[in-house]
Amino acid sequence: MSTELRGGAVRSGIAYLVLIAGALLTVAPLVSSAATAVKTPGQFANESALTPPHPVTLGNFRTVLDQGLGRAVAVTALMTVCITCGQLLISILAAYAFARTSFPGRETLFWVYLGTMMVPSAVTLIPLYLMFAKLGWLNTFWALALPFLFGSPYAIFLLRQYFRAIPGELIDAARMDGANTLDILVHVVVPMSRPILATLTVITVVSQWNSFMWPLVAASGAKWQVLTVATANMQTRYNSQWPLIMATTTLAIAPLVVLFVVSQRQVLRSIAWTGLK
Amino acid sequence: MDRTVRRIATSYALLLPSLIGVGCFLLLPIAVVLWLSLHSWNLLGPMKFTGLDNWRAVLGDRQFGHSLVVTVVLTAMVVPVQTALGFGVAALLAGRGRGGTVLRVVYALPWMCAPVAVGVVWQWIFAPTGGALSALLGRRIEWLSSPVLALPGVAAVLIWMNVGYVALFFVAGIRAIPGEVLDAGALDGATGWRRTRWLLLPLLRPTMFFVLATGVLTAFQTFDTVYALTRGGPDHHTDVVAMRLYSEAFDAARPGRAAVMAVVVFAVMFVITFAQHRYFRDRTSYEY
Repeated sequence: MSTELRGGAVRSGIAYLVLIAGALLTVAPLVSSAATAVKTPGQFANESALTPPHPVTLGNFRTVLDQGLGRAVAVTALMTVCITCGQLLISILAAYAFARTSFPGRETLFWVYLGTMMVPSAVTLIPLYLMFAKLGWLNTFWALALPFLFGSPYAIFLLRQYFRAIPGELIDAARMDGANTLDILVHVVVPMSRPILATLTVITVVSQWNSFMWPLVAASGAKWQVLTVATANMQTRYNSQWPLIMATTTLAIAPLVVLFVVSQRQVLRSIAWTGLK
Repeated sequence: MDRTVRRIATSYALLLPSLIGVGCFLLLPIAVVLWLSLHSWNLLGPMKFTGLDNWRAVLGDRQFGHSLVVTVVLTAMVVPVQTALGFGVAALLAGRGRGGTVLRVVYALPWMCAPVAVGVVWQWIFAPTGGALSALLGRRIEWLSSPVLALPGVAAVLIWMNVGYVALFFVAGIRAIPGEVLDAGALDGATGWRRTRWLLLPLLRPTMFFVLATGVLTAFQTFDTVYALTRGGPDHHTDVVAMRLYSEAFDAARPGRAAVMAVVVFAVMFVITFAQHRYFRDRTSYEY
């Protein structure tokens, strides 16, 4: 018995060691790039890439923020907020229609929505570019936001599953009290769906903040450049001035890491959700 | 009658905004891509109908064939490794309390990071001068400019990005297995490797399907990381399909040919999804 216990403890200890080693491998690139971002150019040029920064300087951040990255941060934040609000709002409406009402064409439409989830973004890239070029809307805020503002089939699908599990009596009772569909959505459905809405918010914020392919072709001009596109351009502009480039990547990554630490339960749940459903 | 009409009108009113979105930004583009594939155009002048010329050109294009091969090789390097490592991490991680939560947060970190920023960070890690790997190994390695090492380098970055994410799916899958099933296995004496092989793996088949399917589909579409790391170089050795499509449309200014590539990508993904679905459906007949 005792040897078995000891064996279990040893195994558990080894498991933790392996896990911690893996975790260190996971964060090492991020930590070392952040460390490079606060190095002086002099230290970077003269010492090994692996030495810790001394003195710590924020000068690299100041330089890249002045070089247009400040604006890119603001544009990215604005785009992310607009798209997230639009997607949640419009997906809630559509998911409710699919989950709780019956109308001719419901099944067909739902299958069309599901089918579009399979379309790779590379397929719509060129036609969208064409359409926005025709409208003269390239390099505007609308080019960034419009294609993603009107809900996403994925969000609609997840929300529909969730809405179907809400007890019908609750909705009937509200209707008896004279509530119309919008009242029911605002006062019954949305409050009951907070976990899935928080999860969807996290997923949407992450994917929009990080989106690259579409912004690259739709708004690569200086005015409406987002952070990811600016990061790719900084790489060219500051050829091998790694402290400046790492300051840029740190600015692109850090806000989401903060969001992550604040909302880690939602993030982990979102991963569990998307994997199981 | 009047109430029925009103009910249907309400439903469509709720759907209208999303119908605009799906119609204008998903269905219309699909139609445009097919139409574009039949035309010759240089992004500026007038469009000319050329029938199947683009199709013939792309399907006979050795460069495009090469990029398909590169993409398949990249996928074949990335997906098995990230799935195996992710499963290993999950098997160790499941059932651990407080410490496990902290570790899960750490492992999920790369999932949050912009692939472009990650690509740029790894470009620094791989850089022959001033890079972390050269400093660590004490010698210069021309990693990303080497025809042999560039693609494995890209694969390593993708694996690094995905292992923790894959592990979290498996952790969720393991947690969804009823405790009694695992306990019964323990009573039967299944421990360690045998427990993993004969109990955990078969029960995790749905998760396995999901992880492999999404893994293949995302690896096949890789763009951001390659753009930041190599832009398809050196000499097209990392020229994945999405990169090829992008340069064909916007660098070579031949959107008609790129449209054909887009249709091919879509077809390949459709076939992969369908095949995976069939394969796993036939082998997931039991419930737990």
